[in-house]
Amino acid sequence: MVAAGLYLKRFYTVVRGEVLVLPSRVIVALFFLVLLGMPLISQNPYLIRVIVLTSIFAILAASWDLLSGFTGQMNFGHALFFGVGAYASAMLNVHLHIPPWGSVPLGAAAAVLTGLIVGIPCLRLKHTYLALTTMAFPIILMGIVFALPDITGGELGISGLQRISNSLIVNYYVYVGIMLVLCTIMWKITDSHTGIIFHAIREDELAVKASGINTTRYKLMAFCLSGFFAGIAGGLYAHYMRIAGPSTLEVSMSFTVVIWAVFGGIATIYGPVAAVFILFPLLEFVRFWPEYRMLIFAVVVLLILLYMPEGLIPWVRDKIEKECPRCKIRNVATRKTCRICTAVLD
Amino acid sequence: MAVPFLEVEALTKSFGGLLAVNNVQFRMENKEILGLIGPNGAGKTTLLRLLTGILKPDSGSIRFQGKQLVGLKTWDIVNMGVACTFQNMRPFRRLPIIANVMVSCLSPRAMKRGEWVKVVESKAMDALEFAGISDMALEKASTLSQGDLKRLEVARAVATEPDLLLLDEPFGGLSPAETDLMAKSIRRLHKGGRFGRLHSEGPAMIIVEHKLQQLMKIVDRIIVLNFGTLLAEGKPDDVVNNPQVIEAYLGQGGGQ
Repeated sequence: MVAAGLYLKRFYTVVRGEVLVLPSRVIVALFFLVLLGMPLISQNPYLIRVIVLTSIFAILAASWDLLSGFTGQMNFGHALFFGVGAYASAMLNVHLHIPPWGSVPLGAAAAVLTGLIVGIPCLRLKHTYLALTTMAFPIILMGIVFALPDITGGELGISGLQRISNSLIVNYYVYVGIMLVLCTIMWKITDSHTGIIFHAIREDELAVKASGINTTRYKLMAFCLSGFFAGIAGGLYAHYMRIAGPSTLEVSMSFTVVIWAVFGGIATIYGPVAAVFILFPLLEFVRFWPEYRMLIFAVVVLLILLYMPEGLIPWVRDKIEKECPRCKIRNVATRKTCRICTAVLD
Repeated sequence: MAVPFLEVEALTKSFGGLLAVNNVQFRMENKEILGLIGPNGAGKTTLLRLLTGILKPDSGSIRFQGKQLVGLKTWDIVNMGVACTFQNMRPFRRLPIIANVMVSCLSPRAMKRGEWVKVVESKAMDALEFAGISDMALEKASTLSQGDLKRLEVARAVATEPDLLLLDEPFGGLSPAETDLMAKSIRRLHKGGRFGRLHSEGPAMIIVEHKLQQLMKIVDRIIVLNFGTLLAEGKPDDVVNNPQVIEAYLGQGGGQ
């Protein structure tokens, strides 16, 4: 009893010292808590469906950010990884009867392989050329899908996939849990030394080479990592919708991902995730006015990009927190002095 | 016979019809400081870029400690111990200064040489300390002045603990005071020793520079390039009094 009390006290100290000091961390903690506690409050199937789909697309948007936001390899064909993940899991599940816990990782492995295949020819390309080339790949794959209707189902896609679980709540926790874990992993990657090299490659690739870093390896690594996470998202999507169709490879899918990431703020990971959690439900709830649906979406995105060119989340973060001019530690905007070095904040 | 430290033979590189580097050959001893001078457009920067593998030569060979460098990737060459700085500084502008140097510290060569240094950050900090900009370690690189950017370039190159350091205009755009400081750092580096967690055996250097007065005080030997060809080679005093060199810099009869 006493030991439990001590642990609780310790836990409270850590929470107070590490989480409650910054509004952004409080928001992230609340986000985790609300998502994990949601089924306790409401078990509305529609709401749960929206959150599950949002989670899947959050993984996808974050994986785009990992590749294009961080290493600057502008990928306008991110639907490729999503589609490969979806189709591979669907084929493994429907044709070979592999259960979801096997088909989703194998689908992700197929997406990693695709990342390698796309990454190698794209290594020499930069900027616009890279963007245009990557855009071509999902279109090519869609052509292949239509050409082999016996295996891929052609325009109808592969339907009748197994659900991960038949229980609404278990399904919810699997999807949301996977999303939270994967996004944390992606954020951890970008926060590591590898993340610094990714950043540096975006800034100036030649200078990274001259620092003795094998940029080819790191760029391929970015393609593979991004493909892996997007592939998982694709597999999860196929299992949730119980169908893998050509819509997963559409150009609009690739561009929606880019819009989400730019809206939330690129090169942050949490930005695109937050953007999906704002924009995707918004797009669902304005279904009440179907004729204005895309218009409202476009207006919101345009307004944000007009007034917050860095993206929504970095803008909000700058409003509620400020950086100490001396030690660069972030502080609540209401503080007068830095919480670490006590320098006066301006 | 001992293997020469650096041996460049019949190196040629042309851009379209322009022969930027034409049949250049020279040798270099370990721990030597070599000045590389010449009028604008003489091919000095091109020569450095050929040495680091950023450009591929049309023909010729570069042997560094007996190993052929032609055909190797830039990062392999850097990891063999040839580091370079850029004439027009190329920092990672949106990253903090310390992260700029950490990229170098994460190269295989730097990681191998500092096994007892577990923390990459502290090694990067020592490189900044050496270059004299450690006080600004957390600022973004875009906030740096011209002189500090030059120092950042040097810090980044030194962080890989090179055996051969190629400096492209280290004094370019610096005030006289800053130039003196930079010259001091270069001499200190050449002497070798420990700079915090960094270890230097005193690398050999090739310095491209236009400020001859400063350069003369540092270098052991000078090579003069003109229109891509080797014009003269020798002790600093001999070279500046060489009539061919004077002609190349100032034109016919310019020495009078």
